[in-house]
Amino acid sequence: MKSAPQLLIVDDNAADVSLTREALTATAYGGQISSVADGMEALAFLTRRGNYANASKPDLVILDLNLPKRDGLAVLAAMKAAPELRRIPVVVFSTSQLSQDIGRSYELGANCYVSKPGNLTEFFSAMRAIKQFWFGAASLPPQGE
Amino acid sequence: MSSAGTQLATQSSTEARAKLRVLLIEDSRADAELVLRGLRDGGFDVSVDLAQTPEEFRARVKETVPDIVLADYNLGQWRGMEALKILREEGRDVPLILVSGALGDITAVECIKRGATDYVLKDSLTRLPESVRRALREKKLREESRKAEANLAAKAAELARSNAELEQFAYVASHDLQEPLRMVAAYTQLLSERYRGKLDDNADKFLGYASEGAQRMQVLIQDLLAFSRVGRREAPSEKVDCNAVMKEVLQALGAAIQESGAVVTYGSLPAVWADRTQVAQVFQNLIGNALKFRGPEPPRVVVQAERAGQQWLFAVSDSGIGIAPEHRENIFVVFQRLHARTEYPGNGIGLAICKKIIERYGGRIWVESQPGAGSTFRFTMPGEASDPKEEGRK
Repeated sequence: MKSAPQLLIVDDNAADVSLTREALTATAYGGQISSVADGMEALAFLTRRGNYANASKPDLVILDLNLPKRDGLAVLAAMKAAPELRRIPVVVFSTSQLSQDIGRSYELGANCYVSKPGNLTEFFSAMRAIKQFWFGAASLPPQGE
Repeated sequence: MSSAGTQLATQSSTEARAKLRVLLIEDSRADAELVLRGLRDGGFDVSVDLAQTPEEFRARVKETVPDIVLADYNLGQWRGMEALKILREEGRDVPLILVSGALGDITAVECIKRGATDYVLKDSLTRLPESVRRALREKKLREESRKAEANLAAKAAELARSNAELEQFAYVASHDLQEPLRMVAAYTQLLSERYRGKLDDNADKFLGYASEGAQRMQVLIQDLLAFSRVGRREAPSEKVDCNAVMKEVLQALGAAIQESGAVVTYGSLPAVWADRTQVAQVFQNLIGNALKFRGPEPPRVVVQAERAGQQWLFAVSDSGIGIAPEHRENIFVVFQRLHARTEYPGNGIGLAICKKIIERYGGRIWVESQPGAGSTFRFTMPGEASDPKEEGRK
């Protein structure tokens, strides 16, 4: 049996993090959920620096764009430039529907872009789709380099 | 007031006489006296400066602005017409009248063409006062219209600035309102779903109201954003085939057409010069309305176009419930609705967006309708690429 999936949410809005957790719980996602609130922390978590020395490497990152310190696009660029982080799939999850943001995200190597829905039902179904695809249909990169 | 020797005469003012400062270009003292007498006899209180060479003339014009320049045509070393050039170079808008001996007709016409206000022959100086009065009147009119123009331009610039500011404000406000509202909407919805039946009946009802309100406000803000985006979109105008656009629009409205049993017909439509997305939006909003505001019968919608000069005049006619005459203007105002939401849903943004788009391309939209007898929305769109507003923007 596979080990439980690890998910990292990068979002400075506690209400959104909580809503994402609620939505994932509703899909019977049984893995771990970690969250960090800014871009610097996200990179520290991923590279296991500082407070995150014992963090486990996530199988999937759900990344907001509008973040303090280093914004989501900078985090994305840093991840995709780092050989040890590049293969972790990143789902950009942002309220922005600007084509610049969407295009730039894919240019920087985002694995998909999902607009944060304003409505609860749609929010839940977006999270269900993400869970079903990434932890169901898709094969994730093998753990351990 | 001026250097000695050139000051010829200053008549003490008589109450009724209009003061007139003349700069005279004349090399004959006798002729100068004649001209002055002519003016005084014509009712002016005249003060005079005399200039005989171009250098003298330029110096006079630099130090003081006369009401009028009277110039002989043929002078020893120069011609009176050269004074016009000097006036222009010194930035003085002072009328110049040629006062001259026999002047051929062709030369006279030539002088007027080059900017002299009039010419008066020395042997008919009685005509001079009236000519001067007319020149002064014309100058005053010129000044007034210049002032009015500058005023108008300043007002237009101010209006454009405040419009842009308002648009920016609406955009930023509605954009920034979305985030917190999204939280309110999501969590009231979560609360009302998760705790339904677990509190008392009132609590369920209250949560329902709060959640509905938040969601309605979300739609309103999205509409407002869509409205303000119409002016922000910077897509250049292109040739848009309205037949292709209609096909897409009917596809997008497919469900509503099927549900209402509507028949939408359109003849051969022209191409217009505009932003394709916005053209589609106009058609979609108008046809969407025709489907929505229908009577008991399945709606019939007809889209047509005809030439109107550089423009195309479109008509979208329906067999719906119609619009009372007193509402024909305000249906185009943002968030104006004529019906209860329970009767006909919507936020009253569709026609406001149509109007904003159409006016962006210099067009006009209006409605012809009778209650119960259907409505025809007419609007114009540019048929050529020669929209001056578009070119000015590039």
